[in-house]
Amino acid sequence: MSTLGFNEEQRDCLQEIINVAMGLASDKLARFLNTFVHLQVPSIALVGASHIPAEFENRYQDTEAALVSQGFFGNEGVRGEAIVLYQMENAHKISALLGYEVGDVSEIEMLTDISSILTTTFLNGLADQIENSLSYSAPRVLSSAKGDMSSLLKNTSFHWEHALKVDISYQLIDHSFNCDMILLIPGEAVTNIQRILDRILEEY
Amino acid sequence: MSHTWLNSPILSQLNSGVIVIDDEYQIHYLNAFIERHASMQLSDVKGKSLFSVFADLPEAWLKRKLMSVLDLNTPAFSSWEQRQYIFKLPHLRPITSSSQYMAQNCSMLPLVSEQTEQPLICILIEDATDAFVYQQHLSKTLIELEKANRQDGLTKVLNRRYWEEQLKQEIHRAQRYHHPLSLILFDLDKFKDLNDKYGHLGGDFVLIQLASFIGSLLRDSDLFGRYGGEEFGIILPDTGLDGAVEVSERICQAVADYPMLFNQQTIRVSISMGVSELLPKQHLLHDDLIRCADMALYNAKRAGRNRVCSYLAGETEYQKKVN
Amino acid sequence: MALPVLICDDSILARKQVRKSLPESFDAEFQTASNGLEALSILRTQEIGLVFLDLTMPELDGVGVLEAIKAEGIDCFVIVISADIQPEMKKRVMELGALAFIHKPVNEDKLQSILKQYGLI
Repeated sequence: MSTLGFNEEQRDCLQEIINVAMGLASDKLARFLNTFVHLQVPSIALVGASHIPAEFENRYQDTEAALVSQGFFGNEGVRGEAIVLYQMENAHKISALLGYEVGDVSEIEMLTDISSILTTTFLNGLADQIENSLSYSAPRVLSSAKGDMSSLLKNTSFHWEHALKVDISYQLIDHSFNCDMILLIPGEAVTNIQRILDRILEEY
Repeated sequence: MSHTWLNSPILSQLNSGVIVIDDEYQIHYLNAFIERHASMQLSDVKGKSLFSVFADLPEAWLKRKLMSVLDLNTPAFSSWEQRQYIFKLPHLRPITSSSQYMAQNCSMLPLVSEQTEQPLICILIEDATDAFVYQQHLSKTLIELEKANRQDGLTKVLNRRYWEEQLKQEIHRAQRYHHPLSLILFDLDKFKDLNDKYGHLGGDFVLIQLASFIGSLLRDSDLFGRYGGEEFGIILPDTGLDGAVEVSERICQAVADYPMLFNQQTIRVSISMGVSELLPKQHLLHDDLIRCADMALYNAKRAGRNRVCSYLAGETEYQKKVN
Repeated sequence: MALPVLICDDSILARKQVRKSLPESFDAEFQTASNGLEALSILRTQEIGLVFLDLTMPELDGVGVLEAIKAEGIDCFVIVISADIQPEMKKRVMELGALAFIHKPVNEDKLQSILKQYGLI
């Protein structure tokens, strides 16, 4: 897993920005769900998008998993696609917390809502720190039967060049809910982000 | 409650609905699209609750979604694929489905009013009816395609491939739950002669008629398929040998008594039937069960046709034809 | 006399941000640590008056540092600066003896008013 494109300082800056965004998102989520969210430092890595399917194959190979994708667009060329992946049993845990009762809404709707909340609160936190603002497209669900994750990911990510893999583990009190978030960004956006990071670093 | 920033000509021309409400669900604004489609005037509904102005909104669900927008300051979405519409608005395009309401994609966006810092929500409604109708057509086509994949084109019973798949599954199920399972194989007696006498059209006609007739004698759970040209199979779940033989004899008799009218000629046919029950120890593959039923069918032919024969336990070879 | 200050955070950027948020008039001698273990080894061997402490760090996290400070009776003020801003965490940190809790990104005015409040500037 390389940090292609980012130097040490930029990487550190990006990690810090993401940590803070995670903190903001977790707090919002915790208040909304009326529970405590244990924060773990998300690990981030910049990888070539073609490597993504293999990376997740292992984790999701034998389970029923789902994938929700949502596009985001901001100023200064910051744009991409955010993908949230989870195991279905995890999704059921958080839906109970969101106040859904069994049979209340369709599974797809529940997944869409959760993903949208996780994605947009996190990305908004990110945008705030880089003095940007983002708009979002409606989330799309691509759930998968067992073992299908790899081909789903291939179809989704093949036309993006780079992927920023942010490994998030939300742990809710008394439950453990885990999901992976991947931010897929096109080549030009990486350059734009680097520029923004440099600008932030210059201030210090 | 006056928002001059909402008087933009763009909003009045926009081909999507815009509704602005506050954190108590009171309407601050709706654009011309909504006024026209919902037959209302902004001046009449301003300040009223969204739920009193629009009939039949999914209140609990919508409130929860709107609250999340305010609490988290993030957008929420609803697609027509999950919920066909939120607001019951008629549309003007004719559609083949039973619905007369506009299919909608809705976005709920957080706003801050410039004057009062009061949190507002903008509900954006996009007409997705075209996509909805297209999807319905597509679904119908796919269902028909799938049916075609399973059906025998001529007789409309299950085609061989699908029928054999089902047989495998039924065997598996019967073994798993220790239920009995029986198989009937039958074919038309002297079908070649029939074809020679009435032509292939006559032959086809008979197959179609017979398949339909026999199908009507079966239970919903029985699986009726075309195994060969004039050969058919029936899978009888939860049925032991005695039951299967009884059913077969009834069918055999009914077929013999069934007159079919073709080109003003009356055609009668008879069938020979072989029956076998699943013996889990002996029948390890579905082929084994078929072979046993086939042996029984062969015996029925040899014994004079127009009859039912059941597989004799222990029989392993086709009996040689007695001259 | 210059106040010995320890800035503890695994992010270079964050450490710089804290530095930058402090008033120019603040008379201090700065040291840095990038994880809890490093921080403790400095705290145990030197006189430190004020610690700016991040919570999420490798090796030993902020809570671990606070617990050690309390257990070992190390004499210093601790201001927690963290991305984890949930009320529960805040409460926990204050119970462990922190002077104040500031959330990231650091607000200059907030930081300065706290320092003033405790007579550090």
